Amino acid sequence: MPIGSGGDGDDPRLPAWRRYLRFWRANPPGDVNDELAFHIEATTDELMAAGMSYDDARAAARRKFGDVDRISATLYTLSQQRERTMERRERWQTIKQDVVFALRQLRKSPAFTAIAVTTLALGIGANSAIFSVVYSVLLQPLPYANADRVLSLSQSNGGEKIWSIPFGNYDTWRREATGFAAIGASWGNPPQTLTGQGDPVPIATAVASAGYWKAMFIPPVAGRYFTEAEDREGGPLVTVLSYALWKNRFSGDRAVVGRVITMNGQPYTVVGVAPPDYAVFAPAERVWIPLAPSARRLADFSDHELSVYGLLKPGVSAASAVRQLTQIETALAQEHPHSRYDGGIIAESLIDRIAGAQRSTLYMLLGAVALVLLIACGNIANLLLARANARRGEIAIRGALGATRGRIIGQLLVESLILALAGGVLGLGVAAAGVKFLVSSPAQIPRLQNASLNAPVVAFTLLVAIACAVVFGLVPALRAARLDLQQTLRDGGRDSRAAGREQLRRALVVTELCVAQILLIGAGLLIRSSLLEQAVPPGFDTHNLLVVHLSLPDARYPGGARQEAVFQQIESAIAAIPGVQSAARTQVAPIVRTGYNWTAFREGSDGNDEGAVTADMRFVSPNYFSTLRLPLLRGRAFNSGDAADAPRVAIVSRGLGKRLWGDADPLGKRIGYGSGAKIQWKEIVGVVDDMHADGLREDPPMELYQPSTQFVNGAQSILVRGAVPVTTLVPAVRRAVSSVDPQLALSGLGTMDDAVDDSLAYSRFTTWLLTLLGATGLILAAVGVYGVIGYVVAQRTHEFGVRIALGSTSGGLQWLVVRQGLALAVVGVGIGLLVSLAAARLLRNLVFGITPHDPVTFGVVAAALLAIAVFASYVPARRATRIDPLEALRGA
Amino acid sequence: MARTTVDLLQGTLDLIVLKTLSWGPMHGFGIARWIQHTTEDVLQVEEGSLYPALYRMENRAWIKAQWALTENGRRAKYYKLTALGRRQLAAESKTWAQLSGAIGKIMTAKRQPA
Repeated sequence: MPIGSGGDGDDPRLPAWRRYLRFWRANPPGDVNDELAFHIEATTDELMAAGMSYDDARAAARRKFGDVDRISATLYTLSQQRERTMERRERWQTIKQDVVFALRQLRKSPAFTAIAVTTLALGIGANSAIFSVVYSVLLQPLPYANADRVLSLSQSNGGEKIWSIPFGNYDTWRREATGFAAIGASWGNPPQTLTGQGDPVPIATAVASAGYWKAMFIPPVAGRYFTEAEDREGGPLVTVLSYALWKNRFSGDRAVVGRVITMNGQPYTVVGVAPPDYAVFAPAERVWIPLAPSARRLADFSDHELSVYGLLKPGVSAASAVRQLTQIETALAQEHPHSRYDGGIIAESLIDRIAGAQRSTLYMLLGAVALVLLIACGNIANLLLARANARRGEIAIRGALGATRGRIIGQLLVESLILALAGGVLGLGVAAAGVKFLVSSPAQIPRLQNASLNAPVVAFTLLVAIACAVVFGLVPALRAARLDLQQTLRDGGRDSRAAGREQLRRALVVTELCVAQILLIGAGLLIRSSLLEQAVPPGFDTHNLLVVHLSLPDARYPGGARQEAVFQQIESAIAAIPGVQSAARTQVAPIVRTGYNWTAFREGSDGNDEGAVTADMRFVSPNYFSTLRLPLLRGRAFNSGDAADAPRVAIVSRGLGKRLWGDADPLGKRIGYGSGAKIQWKEIVGVVDDMHADGLREDPPMELYQPSTQFVNGAQSILVRGAVPVTTLVPAVRRAVSSVDPQLALSGLGTMDDAVDDSLAYSRFTTWLLTLLGATGLILAAVGVYGVIGYVVAQRTHEFGVRIALGSTSGGLQWLVVRQGLALAVVGVGIGLLVSLAAARLLRNLVFGITPHDPVTFGVVAAALLAIAVFASYVPARRATRIDPLEALRGA
Repeated sequence: MARTTVDLLQGTLDLIVLKTLSWGPMHGFGIARWIQHTTEDVLQVEEGSLYPALYRMENRAWIKAQWALTENGRRAKYYKLTALGRRQLAAESKTWAQLSGAIGKIMTAKRQPA
């Protein structure tokens, strides 16, 4: 059987026009018609040979064949399917070819490939690492079943957000706000001492209402949460364990539900174990006990205590629920003036409540790291442009052989994409290390611990890699494909359009410098803020000061007098330790926590006017001021005469005195707090200096000090000033406490210096990262300038040779080169300054002690960039002076 | 001419075509005639229905098509088995042999079911 050896094109009988058709693409309709026509003709011939007339034979042949139209329609569809499959396969083939070719090209220049991939891996990896933090802290859905329908409810006080809500307000909201399916409250209690599980240990304790668990519901690991009946005054003593506590102290035993454990000497029945997700809000190892508010507390509308959360009813919008709640709150504010709320409600989403403080810093870091990557992309684009130059011959030949422009651009983009993807994959390794490092940071960032290379982070990495490929690959590819073929081939591969390309490279470097300028100004402003913050004098001597927290179980120490006596005993025992200079007490140590924020007012004020102010209240023992070395400005410190039954006295900070009495002497004046018949008046006996008790970044709060005898707290912090290094005194302090009561557990043991450090950790964390990013950006920009100027010098070797031959001094020649780098820098830095001036406002909430347009930062950064540009051009400039004129001229 | 019309199952037609092509490349008309002659006109395939089967098998890459000249100098599309098609034929003939053997045993059974 004769079979043609080739395809359609070999067929001599194929009409010429059909052959052309086939050249562009397959022609399924034509082929189908031809094939069927052949069949019918062949059958007709057969029948005619058997003696039929042509017409009869043809009719019979058609009958025998069946429905020609229907069958050919089916065949068209089938052959079109086939064409599509083949086209797809061809496209794949093209891509495969491009990839193989690109890999070969990249293998041919290992140095370029290594530099580009490493730069990208670092840049993309850093972006992924920061993104994984952003994702885990801000974007990852919260674990609560109804997280998107839960609102954190705060009061407003002249626009200020007050997170702590009085019991009375909470209870009123809970009963009257119908827009919410549940309104819950929680509150951190002093740690309780757990006994009967090995040594006595302090356990962080939170109180939570039954509604809290409804609003913030996640199914318990074991057992259940509190019921309404347990959340009542006099209800049973029950507790929910945190997951970490359950694992660590109860070895994850489910049978713990129903067991009775002893905390602060009282028997609590364990009713449930909460999943680990609740650790978002506070220490992982903790217990919850019911809020069970007493009638006395529920009648209080001025002590700000509770964090309150509301779960919206299905079908009720947040706006309408909050509107109704605001009406309720407005009425409360009118009934209870001077209680530090104005009747407004500030509702925010749970994620804002948890991580709102971190949001702007984290996005700012993400922006900074993106800018670094942008600069890195600029450098790679520059390398690609240089490479395209070297490959002009190759590209011209491919063009001459029929590769279309699109195909050449595609080919070059595939190379970029491979570089970027390789960078991205290695970047994941960098990101893994980065995440590990970031998670280990001491900064207290909620949900930071969850950061990992999860699917969204990997997807982000790939996306960034692809974006990078376009950013650094597109311009060089378009540029390369615009080659004038004839010109290039005639030039023998030498560049006749170098000037245009050089222009482009300069533009790239200017952009890089501009981006670097923006990055460095942002980083500079925040670094300077952080340094200023760290340099703030705290107002008291933080060095060699030990802090320890103790709480007395109510069961064994009923009554304030008894508790104060025990605390006095402990303070004396500690003060008697050799090496201890002095010891003092307060209910919460400064820096570690804020005091109680209550409204205080001068005589004659109605508690709601100019004469009232939010004061930070601390209840302290007589040695407090001398132990902290907080200067006493006027009057006296507390002394043993200020007993529980003695006249009520107070000491104010300078700021508080000035705020209430201006320039008049506060000594002898009376200051009050509380409301109605419960107003307490105290005579001011002393004025002490201000101190940054709420952290160095915060203004010194207005402090109102009272003797610990006249307002007893069952939990107090003890401050120990050492004559020897305080850390060596820790065992003696433990012994002193257990000599008074061996069942007491110490918590929060640490030095004041460490507490200050911890309070600065977040700011140090961001500063450190910004320094790293800023330095990287600066180095990358310098490399960019170096690359371009070096290239210029190489291009002009011939010209420089002539100049040297004509007697140019090396100084003059160097200036000629450096001037070019400087020119680039001036343009880049100039544009960068303008953009930064406009954009700096974004940082206004993050800077401290300076304006976002801080002239020092702007000046230093601009000078640094100019200097680095000069330095980066100086290196190739020196090379220019060393050109041997003879060789340069001969080489031309 | 004694005519017995046998309705062919889709898969069976494929098997027949593959077997036919195992002798060498053939055009659609040739395949139709070969089946007709070999089965002594027992299998009267409606000739048109042969083509969709051929196209489908081509899409599956069991067979490959090529235009060529016939002995009479006419242009015709010839079909040829591919390596994949050969494997398919081997597999299907095995299945067919098992199936027809089994049916044969049932049809020639002498014993009544218990």
